Amino acid sequence: MLTVCPYFHVHQPYRVKRFRVFDIGTDGEYFNDESETDLNNRRIVEKVAEKSYRPTNRILQQLLADHPEFRFNLSFSGTVLDQFEAYAPDVLESFQALVATGRVEILADTYHHSLAFFYSIPEFTRQVKQHEKRIKQLFGVKPRVFRNTELSYRNDLAKWCEDNGYLGIMAEGWDKYLGWRSPNFLYRPAGCSRIKVLLKNYKLSDDIAFRFGNQGWANYPLQADTYADWIHAHHGDGETVNLFMDYESFGEHQWEDTGIFEFLRALPTMVLRHPDTSFKTATETVESYDAKGEYDVPDVLTWADTDRDLTAWVGNDIQRDAIAATYGMEASVMKTRKRDLIETWRKLQTSDHFYYMCTKWSHDGDVHAYFSPYQSPYDAYIAFMNALSDLQLRVQQHHDSKARALVEALDDDAETIPVPVVKSRPQMVQKPPVDPVEEVAPEVPEVVVPVPVPPPSIVAQVRAWLGSIKLRLPW
Amino acid sequence: MRVLTFGWEYPPSKNGGLGVACYGLTRELVAAGIEVIFVLPKSQETKGNARFLFADQARLVTIRHTEAWLRPYQQSDDLVEVIVGYRPDGTPIIKSRTILEEVHRFAHQASLIAKEETFDVIHAHDWTSYLAGVAAKVASGKPLVLHVHATSYDQAASDNVDPAVRQVELEGFTAADSIVTVSGFTRNILIKKHGVPADKITVVHNGCDSEEPPRLSPALEELKRQGKKIVLYHGRISIQKGVDHFIRAARKVVDVDSSVVFVISGWGDMTNQIIEQVGTLSLSQHVRFAGALWDEERDRMYQSADLVVMPSVSEPFGLVPLEAISHGTPALITKQSGVAEVLTHALKVDFWDVDEMANQILSSLRYPVMRRQLVTEGQQQLKLLSWREAARKIHTLYQRLVQYVTP
Repeated sequence: MLTVCPYFHVHQPYRVKRFRVFDIGTDGEYFNDESETDLNNRRIVEKVAEKSYRPTNRILQQLLADHPEFRFNLSFSGTVLDQFEAYAPDVLESFQALVATGRVEILADTYHHSLAFFYSIPEFTRQVKQHEKRIKQLFGVKPRVFRNTELSYRNDLAKWCEDNGYLGIMAEGWDKYLGWRSPNFLYRPAGCSRIKVLLKNYKLSDDIAFRFGNQGWANYPLQADTYADWIHAHHGDGETVNLFMDYESFGEHQWEDTGIFEFLRALPTMVLRHPDTSFKTATETVESYDAKGEYDVPDVLTWADTDRDLTAWVGNDIQRDAIAATYGMEASVMKTRKRDLIETWRKLQTSDHFYYMCTKWSHDGDVHAYFSPYQSPYDAYIAFMNALSDLQLRVQQHHDSKARALVEALDDDAETIPVPVVKSRPQMVQKPPVDPVEEVAPEVPEVVVPVPVPPPSIVAQVRAWLGSIKLRLPW
Repeated sequence: MRVLTFGWEYPPSKNGGLGVACYGLTRELVAAGIEVIFVLPKSQETKGNARFLFADQARLVTIRHTEAWLRPYQQSDDLVEVIVGYRPDGTPIIKSRTILEEVHRFAHQASLIAKEETFDVIHAHDWTSYLAGVAAKVASGKPLVLHVHATSYDQAASDNVDPAVRQVELEGFTAADSIVTVSGFTRNILIKKHGVPADKITVVHNGCDSEEPPRLSPALEELKRQGKKIVLYHGRISIQKGVDHFIRAARKVVDVDSSVVFVISGWGDMTNQIIEQVGTLSLSQHVRFAGALWDEERDRMYQSADLVVMPSVSEPFGLVPLEAISHGTPALITKQSGVAEVLTHALKVDFWDVDEMANQILSSLRYPVMRRQLVTEGQQQLKLLSWREAARKIHTLYQRLVQYVTP
């Protein structure tokens, strides 16, 4: 028995518009670009919906109807689901129809397509929960197999998933960790006792995702029967062929004129032609097969590049600076308990923002391997950091206004004494995370009592003195 | 293979990138075993030390001086004044000719040299030697390569070009067997504005000598002590260079951050206009005119600045950002420059987008991590921009031409 476990990842980020220094403290909207460029999120979703989501879902729905054995998995970022809801509700409905067949499994994920696991496990946990809730609300199912952003993986992530009740987790089947072994079996993550890891067969996956439309490729044009033969060749040396790829491979990365849709339409028939071959969802796969050995990944493994690490996201100084600044504000942004501020902060955690700042390609000249809506990595960094500075300012203003409200509450003579407006300067983002002690007792910035001097009541006088010294509030 | 080259001496000490390019290319061509007859127009500074520069390959390089008095970066009707002798009372006898007249005299002498010398290819640098190249071609029948370092359209920063220069360009481009431009940007100008067929043009980006310059004691220490941030412009002050856009961006920068000081190093026909503009925009506190800085003074300024801006309206290549990076200072350049095609690690804006220019200046001052990375990665990239690679492309071009002409 050989089964095929396909999984398509659906994702769109909220791209940050060209947010300028002048906009810090005045604009407050980062994702509402309305230009004719690829920074316009609505425009992108509408374009990809037309090129990829709608035609592909039609084909998948038909394939499910034609082949009772056909099964596959989907993973969604919360950010793409939100954008479907806003910009292309029919696409969301077509996904719901696929899931309603009961033969399409949804995988667990972070809501914001973030790398939070490697920076803040509490935040990561919150995003996974948020994602689970959203999937439940839209599709009525609870994911049982986990996949992390960009297929990033490490032993401790598998352990976290096991501890949180997941049956399986997905990872790249990378030679460095597999050695002579085949990716076409299940393995046990190092340090775990129950959870199993499904490994991507990167060769067969990338034949579709990356090489399909490459006219210079020896196997171009790839036909479904040839491809099915390659799958069938694993009879005897494997149990499950895991084909993991971006959903947008169909119609967006590989355009319609490459023949990708005909390929997809024909594939199940060709795979099922072999008598002992079928499809399984991730959960079925995990429940059907035993782990054949240990998969030990002490360092971060992803599905990107030839490096299979995080260097495309945090490989240079500006990337590391931006991501450190983002997670550095966790304590202060969470303390606001303001939904919109927290949500905006999370949208800025989406890994794509850091990917756009990648400069790896400038060394090997492989420009086209890195898609970005910005004209340069530095444009991406500037827009992002300016937006983040604005968010930091808003968070700071929130804390300041709360502190001010408290001063007012203390003041029974409030009407005669104007409370000076606290002017805070935009915070430099290189600032280290806020000291938790200060979090408990935030300082009111030094304020200067304005002229004219308040009426000469003693209470007012005391207020005035208090106002001019650093006031430590009692909470 | 022997090449008859019409070019400029290195260093024509204060003439920007042209001499640097002639020297870098010739050095590497000679290193590749090509013989070069280097024909120079006479300019006041020339002391005949080119032979010294190529001393180690003296066998391969022949220098020939001519009696044409030319200097680069001039208008066709600019006057060249030469002391041709002295009257009995000791006052000099001055003859003045226009650049255009000198260009024709240079061409005349070129044709005589071409008759005397033996060579396989002619290579003429910049518009003042185009006619010399054409004359040599007519005299010898050898193939001609014109090397375009700038066009009349760059100098005018508009379509309002010097008609005499344009005429020389058109004559040269028509007669040339092949044309080399220093960027795709310049190639496009030739195709669009001069109607040159695309397949006649080869792009050979300039190289960069990237030895680590010595660290000098800082300039503008007083400003630095006050915590001021320094944004530097270095170059000619002319319409082509876009200094007026830079000043408008400066106003927007200062509105947000009053601790920024803009330093302008250079001189040119627009200097007075720029000084007036600074006054009109009330920027006198924030703009310093340093005069034309060269050599160590210039390098010290490069090293002291936080950011170097090249706001050119039309820049065929643009050496300034490369120099800045080699001195450890990041650069902001316009997309209307050839260097933007080969330099990833620079901030880039459209020259007319003053808001974005100001935004990028402010952002770069705000985020030092980015400035550091622009320099460290930029310096890596400089190492790849070699004159050797440029010379290799030129060599290939020579070989192709020789093949056609001598069966």
